[in-house]
Amino acid sequence: MAVCVAVIAKENYPLYIRSIPTENELKFHYTVHTSLDVVDEKISAMGKALVDQRELYLGLLYPTEDYKVYGYVTNSKVKFVMVVDSSNTALRDNEIRSMFRKLHNSYTDVMCNPFYNPGDCIHSRAFDNMVTSMMMQVC
Amino acid sequence: MSRQAGRGTESKKMSSELFTLTYGALVTQLCKDYENDEDVNKQLDKMGYNIGVRLIEDFLARSNVGRCHDFRETADVIAKVAFKMYLGITPSITNWSPAGDEFSLILENNPLVDFVELPDNHSSLIYSNLLCGVLRGALEMVQMAVDVKFVQDTLKGDGVTEIRMKFVRRIEDNLPAGEE
Repeated sequence: MAVCVAVIAKENYPLYIRSIPTENELKFHYTVHTSLDVVDEKISAMGKALVDQRELYLGLLYPTEDYKVYGYVTNSKVKFVMVVDSSNTALRDNEIRSMFRKLHNSYTDVMCNPFYNPGDCIHSRAFDNMVTSMMMQVC
Repeated sequence: MSRQAGRGTESKKMSSELFTLTYGALVTQLCKDYENDEDVNKQLDKMGYNIGVRLIEDFLARSNVGRCHDFRETADVIAKVAFKMYLGITPSITNWSPAGDEFSLILENNPLVDFVELPDNHSSLIYSNLLCGVLRGALEMVQMAVDVKFVQDTLKGDGVTEIRMKFVRRIEDNLPAGEE
């Protein structure tokens, strides 16, 4: 389903990034990196409204020729970015939203692991498995 | 310190996350303070022992269980009353040795290890070793010397958590309780 999933820290450095066609990893890193500007823009543009509604999902950040990039930001300003194949038109907004929610829950569990230091890269089997399952679903 | 009023037999509720995270913070701090996992395991056991020798008083006062006549009864009380009261779980008792002096407590889910994933550099850490100490300390106060250890742990990839308890001997009343 998703081809690339990234978790970005509050200070905009990557905590976790994984993409499925591994040979093209760098391209996805660029894609995610570029998307951060859009994320910032969205947050500052509708920051007030988002806080009021407790809406964490940012929606479609931007489409490229082959992919669509979606964003989600937690209340602690940790960003989740997901790149989805745009040929997959069956994917609805609601599904993306629930995938992000799943990602968020899983991220919360990682944070609760006493051996994980906040700010470190995420090396968690449970999180890996969850991301893998999200990438596998339809592909 | 003043005693809280109204401390009855009812169990107080607390957030399980708070409990789990507090225990996690304790273990990770010990991991920072001690160089190797064996020392951490030992320390956890010692802390548990100190908890156990105090907790037994609280347990006897609140649970109204009488004297146990044999080790099987003790096992039942531990699993069905003590674990229920303090951890909110009821482990099952299995694998009795033929002589009846050794059994296993199977914990299907261990509330101490929610969220926890052991990092590779702590492969010999027995994360929940505190429980062993608690059981040992508590039983020692009721004149039972036992040997308690983990034989399976979900953190190490096993399906369940198994605590093996072995009855060692009765401690005679006139002896001072074990010095550790």
